[in-house]
Amino acid sequence: MLEVRRSDVEYPDVEIVMKINGELKKVKVKPYERLIDVLRNKLGLTSVKEGCGRGECGACVVIMDNRPVPSCLVLAVRANGKSILTLEGLAPEGKIHAIQKALIDVHALQCGFCFPGVIMMSKHLLDNNPDPSEEEIREALDGNLCRCGSYLRFVKAVKLASKYLREGKTYFDESEVLR
Amino acid sequence: MYMSSVPEYIKIVEEVFDKFKGREFLYIGKDVRRWDAVEKIKGKSLYTADFLKFYKNAVFVHSVRTKYAHALIKSIDVSEASKYPGVLKVITAKDIPGINDVGYVIPDQPLIADRKVRYIGDIVALIVAEDQMIAREAESLIHVEYEPLEVITDPLQVVDLMTLKEKPHTLIHDERGSDVLVHYKVRRGDMEKALREADVKVEGVYKTPFQEHAYLEPEAAIAIPEAEGGVTVISSTQCPFDVRKAVAKVLGVPLNRVRIVVPAVGGGFGGKEDVANEVAAKAALAAVLTGRPAVSIHTREESIIGHSKRHPMIAWYRHAAKKDGTLLAVEANIVMDTGSYASLGPFVPWRATVHATGPYKVGAARIDTKAVYTNNVYAGAFRGFGNPQVIFAVERQMDLLAEELGMDPVELRLKNILRVGDETVHGQKLTEEHGVGLEEALLKAVEASNWSSKRMEYRKAVGPLRKGIGVAIFYHGNSIGVEGADYSSVTLIINRDGSISFRTGLTEFGQGSTWGLVLIAAEILGVPPSYFKVENPDTSATPDAGPTVASRATVMGGAATVIAAHKLRKRLNEVASHILGCDPEDIVIKAPEVYCGSDPNRRTVWQDVVEQSFWLGIPLQEFGYYRAPRAVWDEETGQGAPYITYTFGAIVAEVTVDMETGLTKVDRIYTAYDIGRVINKVGAELNAEGGAIQALGYGLMEELIHDKDGRVMNPNLSTYYVPTIKDAPEIIPIWVEAHYRKGPLGAKGFGEPSFNAVATAIANAVSHAIGLPVYELPLTPERIYMMLKKAGKI
Amino acid sequence: MALINILKISTVYSRVSLTFRFNVYIPKDLNDALRALKVEGEGLLPIAGGTDLLVLYRQGLVKFNKLLDLWPLRNSLSYVRFEGGYVKIGALTTVSELLDSRIYMDKRFLGFKDACSGFASPFIRSIATVGGNVGAAHPLSDIAILLLAYDANVKLASLDGERLVPLREFFIDKRKTLRKPDELIVELSFKEPPTNSSTSLIKLDRRVGHSMGYVIVSTYLELIDDIVKDVRIVFDSMGKPYPERAYKTEEYLRGKTLSEDVVKEASESILPNEMRRITDYRSSAEYRVELSKVLLKRALFKTKERILGGA
Ligand SMILES: Cc1cc2nc3c(=O)[nH]c(=O)nc-3n(C[C@H](O)[C@H](O)[C@H](O)COP(=O)(O)OP(=O)(O)OC[C@H]3O[C@@H](n4cnc5c(N)ncnc54)[C@H](O)[C@@H]3O)c2cc1C
Ligand code: FES
Ligand code: FES
Repeated sequence: MLEVRRSDVEYPDVEIVMKINGELKKVKVKPYERLIDVLRNKLGLTSVKEGCGRGECGACVVIMDNRPVPSCLVLAVRANGKSILTLEGLAPEGKIHAIQKALIDVHALQCGFCFPGVIMMSKHLLDNNPDPSEEEIREALDGNLCRCGSYLRFVKAVKLASKYLREGKTYFDESEVLR
Repeated sequence: MYMSSVPEYIKIVEEVFDKFKGREFLYIGKDVRRWDAVEKIKGKSLYTADFLKFYKNAVFVHSVRTKYAHALIKSIDVSEASKYPGVLKVITAKDIPGINDVGYVIPDQPLIADRKVRYIGDIVALIVAEDQMIAREAESLIHVEYEPLEVITDPLQVVDLMTLKEKPHTLIHDERGSDVLVHYKVRRGDMEKALREADVKVEGVYKTPFQEHAYLEPEAAIAIPEAEGGVTVISSTQCPFDVRKAVAKVLGVPLNRVRIVVPAVGGGFGGKEDVANEVAAKAALAAVLTGRPAVSIHTREESIIGHSKRHPMIAWYRHAAKKDGTLLAVEANIVMDTGSYASLGPFVPWRATVHATGPYKVGAARIDTKAVYTNNVYAGAFRGFGNPQVIFAVERQMDLLAEELGMDPVELRLKNILRVGDETVHGQKLTEEHGVGLEEALLKAVEASNWSSKRMEYRKAVGPLRKGIGVAIFYHGNSIGVEGADYSSVTLIINRDGSISFRTGLTEFGQGSTWGLVLIAAEILGVPPSYFKVENPDTSATPDAGPTVASRATVMGGAATVIAAHKLRKRLNEVASHILGCDPEDIVIKAPEVYCGSDPNRRTVWQDVVEQSFWLGIPLQEFGYYRAPRAVWDEETGQGAPYITYTFGAIVAEVTVDMETGLTKVDRIYTAYDIGRVINKVGAELNAEGGAIQALGYGLMEELIHDKDGRVMNPNLSTYYVPTIKDAPEIIPIWVEAHYRKGPLGAKGFGEPSFNAVATAIANAVSHAIGLPVYELPLTPERIYMMLKKAGKI
Repeated sequence: MALINILKISTVYSRVSLTFRFNVYIPKDLNDALRALKVEGEGLLPIAGGTDLLVLYRQGLVKFNKLLDLWPLRNSLSYVRFEGGYVKIGALTTVSELLDSRIYMDKRFLGFKDACSGFASPFIRSIATVGGNVGAAHPLSDIAILLLAYDANVKLASLDGERLVPLREFFIDKRKTLRKPDELIVELSFKEPPTNSSTSLIKLDRRVGHSMGYVIVSTYLELIDDIVKDVRIVFDSMGKPYPERAYKTEEYLRGKTLSEDVVKEASESILPNEMRRITDYRSSAEYRVELSKVLLKRALFKTKERILGGA
């Protein structure tokens, strides 16, 4: 009587092409797959974190065609033909970006789970507003929950990063940071 | 087994404390960067769920949860679900090879419910499937017959607040015959006499809510089947050794067949103690039963519904004092809601009871605390561990008393606080050795905040925006007291190339305490922190260090580190002395330099000392073990010495309340803490800020809400509000260092205290702003508005 | 006590698929999308930003097997323009784009600043659309509430043509609108308001940032010498589970001088008479009414100040 059908066969793979962190990637996805799962599990970009899966925490934010998006609420098929930046692509090997340097400088790091999203949002802010006010920083990071409570440091770090960037210092050597 | 004399390790800690007294430190209390900073900032640190990318053939474990918060299970039929394509196995209680229990302290919590369900998160079956979607699809093919029972969501349905007697009700834990989990008491002095002599008495009933940890990383575990029925589990936990015990118990295998590895952890705050056992056990079961790697990851909704919360409290308090403000007596009936299962419920109310009178000299006290079961989500450990709840009651009472006496709240507190030489309410005499910096902390907070003038000026305001300033103070017993065996351990290994491996079972979940341990080792050995690598906790490689809870990592782990480092240093000094020819005591190590203090020209390098040790056969590994001096507690009277020492603090908060809407904004928080020696300055400051912001949420917005059927109404982060960056106020940290001689270089614990009194300081400030007493947290706009309306103020 | 079998699904199981999976149709253009809707009917659900739909789906509150991806239509349906005395906003304009348009630089549109910058969080704004906000038909919809204050119209398109529906009639129940299954929302438009007008939107919750709002209110005012020439007041709910106007309060205010007393009377006497609020776990009806009164006052004065040249 029961007609049990596994339905995934009815939903064939779709091949999508994305430019991820500057590199073209072809990947097969299911129409119902979320971008976050494709990035994390198929492409190994685990800097993208899942804190809620509902757009409420900001841990999964990536930059897609110059806009920050919650990758937990974006269908993977929608990334076809798009360019995506994740934390992995922010700085070349051996280097860290000004925002990362600033976060370390002000000792913002606690558990670090919120950081990828916070950094992506900060990057987007600074790309569009090279010298943001404290209020603008708080506005930009409002959706990024940090339960460890590093918020005040985020404000300081973005200010500092904006200074670095305005001085033309975009990247720093990893090795010079840990001293 | 018995040692009557003081053990060697305690002597070493004191010796090192004395040795470093007055010395200039190189790393301790300095701005030193964390070893994991670059990894984490680059997004390379792996958290549990990230490992999934390495296990392509992993199976998913989906928890089928009950539809009722309280019901008997009549039958479960999983046959249809088992046949669903892609489902590998459906696990019910009867499939568990070992013991079906994940209770943290007492065995009252089945992993998979068999006979009855007691809260809305109870699991009735586990579906193991090829992917998560299949498992979710198959869920609707599981047929469970329930017999619903009366749902109890109010702890006062279980006991009466004034008599604390158990009321007739449908028993939740019928197997125990009572839903009262524990009863703790404090009895001190002559209550009747004190009440007779009192000039004033104030009383009130205080309520605090369920608080959700909302750590940003939801629970996760990945289990890999191993030989001999064993399993390795990557687990997001604070307590790997507890997880190992739980998994072994569920699988019915010896402890040494189970290995728990803890990668980066995205926050814990106490919440990743017990639920981690459940999650790891689910993955382990699936791995063992299917022979494939198995993943159990909670969604945010599951996390909120299915893990422990901060215990809500309802407490009746009465304080009695003389006209001059001398506190004579404190009476309290405290009811704590432990929810459906005990979890850490036997311990949290104990800590609440110990701290139930606040850091004051109290002549007479009668405290009775009962923790009771309900059908709510179970309550367990959360930063502060019972103390924030009673601080709210006590410190509100102190403000009421001040008001009644016409005294300034600070003045009243100064009159009664604990100082060196005073006895706590338990009869524990506080000495110089304990380090008692409460008065200094309070005075500094008051001075920094310009308390006196603001306190007067703010009251005069008119118009819809009113400012208020409030104070709250506290003490916090260090480590776990009489709750359990209080030990810790670390291993230090100097490798052949001079680098150092640091191993401990204490976990790092954002609080930075392990980093503090490295600073201690670095300081004692004379080696920069950059030489160290902290290895991830791994039950097969790191020694058991006890749980990473109760603000114990720095004090207990630090003491163990002192011991290991001290012993190693002694040997290194001897080797260097052998090379350089000066006295071992004369050796200075400032790696890479090693030289004689009396003649710095006689020198060599760190590498050389390490290499020579190798050839001389001097071992360069050391194990440090420390067990805290035994705590003493009399069950009937609550007298003794419940904790080894106390951290103290004073918080001043400033708020602005919108009288027309009830919305409160916190403007500024001054946090003055006596944490003994400040080991990890950066970590302490961060912790002070983070704790304050989390407590701001507790004070103003956070509460998990159950409906009358025990369903959680706000199981997500857009209805359970935590503070965002827009709420973060200015925070001014102030440090007081009253050193604890038996702590590592004088340090005391600080993980939890940063949370403790902030919400209450805010509440006192709100009360000051609106000119009305407040009795319940959180102070949502609605609560404040309704109070104002009732009082005819709007 | 009665035995309850929680799962009655097996009777329908043979016909209804259990799957949570779905297919996505990616249309070439608007016509293609409309054709697909015509063919598939109710079985094909449009998805714009997905910030509403995918969360409901996750909670199991909606189920579907086919989605129509509206994102490809953004090149024709994402815009803010002034045309023939109307302000027109493409349905696929995101909230971020609405902010970027800086439409609020003109004081008549300052309400957009309130609605957009208080909307969710920046990364949600980059995908949440205006059409989706209207399509969601949910009380807590900031953009829809603001558009009601402008008395906007919804333009619906199907293969059979286009029609305009006043937004104030568009919602018929919680998550129910007048949209037919083969129609798409393509544009929201409203008459360009006169120079001596402005709007504002206020929401208040226990948290300042990223919140839903116990109450959301938006007001539109047109003033001539302090006298209310025209006014519209919109609340997240007046009694029904979707945003609605406070018509009686508007009527009371029309033609009067916007003085303290008049505003007081409007918000404290007239409004509560026409508003019915619910009690739920977030807040009591009583508090919601009290808050509505206060926020209405504030919104009216804020709008007035804006007209008089403030920010
Ligand atoms: C974390 C979070 C915070 C939020 N905060 C807010 C907030 O502050 N204020 C607020 O108002 N909302 C908020 N929302 C809700 C949601 O973001 C908005 O309703 C948003 O505008 C929906 O737009 P969308 O494009 O994402 O819609 P979708 O989710 O794509 O669609 C919503 C509904 O409309 C239908 N639909 C969409 N576009 C069309 C169209 N062109 N034609 C016909 N039907 C259509 C869909 O079928 C669906 O039924 C929040 C959501 C989340 C997840
Ligand atoms: S995981 Fe996407 S916003 Fe939280
Ligand atoms: S650092 Fe832990 S959540 Fe932000």
